[in-house]
Amino acid sequence: MPRRTKSEDAEQSALGRRGFLKAATLAGTGAIASAGAIGPQANVPEGAKPESAGAATGHGPKSPPRHSVQLTSRESEQGAPPHLEGPSHTTCGSDFMVDVLRNLGIDYVAAIPGNTFKGLHESIINYGMTTTPALEHISCMHEEISVAIAHGYAKIAGKPMACMMHSTVGLQHGSMAIYNAWADRVPVFAIVGAQLDAAKRRSYVDWAHSVFDGPALVRDFTKFDDTPISLSHFAESANRAYKFSMTPPYGPVLLAVDQNLQEDPIEAGASASIVKRVQASPSRGDDAAVLEAARWLVAAQNPVIVADRAARTPQGLALMIELAEALQAAVVDMYGRMNFPWRHPLNQTRQQAQQISAADVILGLELTDFWGVTNGRLAPGAKRISITAGDLYLKANYQDFERFTPVDLAIAADAEATLPYLIEAIRKLTTSSRRSVFKSRGAQLARDHQDSLERSRADAAVGWDIQPITTARMCAELYEQIRTEDWALCNGTVFQNYWPQQLWTAAHHYQYIGDSGAYGLGYLPGATVGAALAHSKHGRLAVAIGGDGDLMFAPGALWTAAHHKIPLLYVVHNNRAYHQEVMFVQMMANKRNRGIDRAHIGNAITDPNVDFAKFANGLGVYAEGPITDPKDLAPALKRAIAVVKRGEPALVDVVSQGR
Amino acid sequence: MKTLASLAALTLCLVAAAAETASGDAANGKRLFMTYGCYECHGTVGAGGGVAGPRIAPNPLPFLGVKAKLRTASGRMPVYSEIVLKDAEIADIYAYLQSIPAGKSAHEIDLLNR
Repeated sequence: MPRRTKSEDAEQSALGRRGFLKAATLAGTGAIASAGAIGPQANVPEGAKPESAGAATGHGPKSPPRHSVQLTSRESEQGAPPHLEGPSHTTCGSDFMVDVLRNLGIDYVAAIPGNTFKGLHESIINYGMTTTPALEHISCMHEEISVAIAHGYAKIAGKPMACMMHSTVGLQHGSMAIYNAWADRVPVFAIVGAQLDAAKRRSYVDWAHSVFDGPALVRDFTKFDDTPISLSHFAESANRAYKFSMTPPYGPVLLAVDQNLQEDPIEAGASASIVKRVQASPSRGDDAAVLEAARWLVAAQNPVIVADRAARTPQGLALMIELAEALQAAVVDMYGRMNFPWRHPLNQTRQQAQQISAADVILGLELTDFWGVTNGRLAPGAKRISITAGDLYLKANYQDFERFTPVDLAIAADAEATLPYLIEAIRKLTTSSRRSVFKSRGAQLARDHQDSLERSRADAAVGWDIQPITTARMCAELYEQIRTEDWALCNGTVFQNYWPQQLWTAAHHYQYIGDSGAYGLGYLPGATVGAALAHSKHGRLAVAIGGDGDLMFAPGALWTAAHHKIPLLYVVHNNRAYHQEVMFVQMMANKRNRGIDRAHIGNAITDPNVDFAKFANGLGVYAEGPITDPKDLAPALKRAIAVVKRGEPALVDVVSQGR
Repeated sequence: MKTLASLAALTLCLVAAAAETASGDAANGKRLFMTYGCYECHGTVGAGGGVAGPRIAPNPLPFLGVKAKLRTASGRMPVYSEIVLKDAEIADIYAYLQSIPAGKSAHEIDLLNR
């Protein structure tokens, strides 16, 4: 995505802001500070053209234009809103907030506009985007999309994106997506506007959009929130929020930012400092517990490693491989992240039921639903070891922590940070005779993996030419078009029967990012756009396969991709129903002996069928479809990928089987 | 003796299955398969849908096995009582499953042999 740096405007903007620098002490000592001074003055490029100042940004050497405000017809509300009265000014709290965000290494802010953060909005577009390092604005169509974009972006970029929401209604829209990020343990830096001063609310709408404690709405599923009342307070809380967000278990954080704090001029003599960015190291497991775990694993006949969100980073994936190979142990991937190469001989995910049943030691790594994995399968005497940062941080109300599992050894620590110590302990304890046992175990697992691949291929062949197109065919055709590219899949695959994992080869951490976390519909369109944005910096081919129902929740994300020219191939798994729910309604109807011929009502997305290609076209996205004949898939995908390679999004609508 | 008895029972089952499936109407079975939403989880030709529903065609299980599964299902599969699904309808659906051709094998499909 091209960045727009309006360097020509910067000098004038900077000149106009020198008063700001006189007023506010910007004593940055973080990442930006190391590269130079923080603040507007540091970003003036040489050769800037003063004559162009203000033309695009509205900023210039003189005061900015007076704001035009839509007023209501009620007599009592006539006149300029109180907080916009008074002399114009060129120093404002929200410029300082932009610098704080930059200092945290935040590159993007995703948002749909809202008047409770209009000060920050203006600072981002006229200051953050025009000076370096740029803080870019991503235009969105729904707060749920803004948050989801930040969610998907963080899983690839490895750091938070910011997103802004309007007070009350905006945060309400975004709340489901925040819950997804919470359950998926992903850092999101959320900002919600606030009008704390009742005397400055200008209309009945402002009152409807005001709340005493806005963050309370999402406090059950955010790691930290605050409502700062000064710029120094904002700087400290932003840093604290960032630190908590990026300390495993990762999670979303929220700052409610007062409108007046954003918009008021900075008074002469006021002091506000940008605080040095601090990132806490993840906690690792206690030495004695790690040693005990290593003993059990080395002595086990059939150890099984079950990983869910274990590999937070590329290094985590490398460590997972090291661990599995050190033990020659079976690995079952719950697909929360790219935890293990899909074609690695020790990958036994397809045989997880057999593997778990035969296991004498099961090591769960960031495994949220340990109970679900072992329930009804645990062999007598089998031991369970858990290493999870989930044991370090818990909230009670929302129950995404899953059923309690009485494991035999619970190590409350980040799995990825603990793996080097566990691997080292395992190596020290492995004798030559155990190594020989491991070797023969590994050879058997390699044969099992190959057998499972053959079974997957045989299963994929069933119904190969039928219509609606099978999900296996859809995934195989897609892979054929991307397999020689540097591709990255941006969706969870449960609704495509995990065909990518069964048929494709993936070995890089960025090639798979897991699912939404809380299965809140509407996640994928935004998350995919965010992930694709992060991939675009690396020139990767971002692809996603998403359900029609999910896309109907948040189609505006496609517009964002088109608007910002974010390259992304979005394949619609168009099965024309909420199939998961059909099953449940069928069960209810049968239980009551009322027949299931009406179970499609409320679940089917037919009559009319949605034409996603036309839909996407209308949002500015190149589109193919609806594809009904499997023979038409390959050419359609080829044409769409050509568009993506030009740097734009494309969509292919595939009329498919349910799963 | 126990083995002989089991074999005899199995033979009876197979005979019974053959007798019941012989009366099935595959065309009506396909209609029911779609109307009753079997395809939602098992796919329109019974290819299966992963965790939603296993593959049930081509080469379906013996008729009595299919019928028993329908009458006493567990897990995600709804239970189909005689009230909502008559024996004759099961026979028709089974006839449809039996009529589904095997199609190509994986070895005949280039994309599955990369």
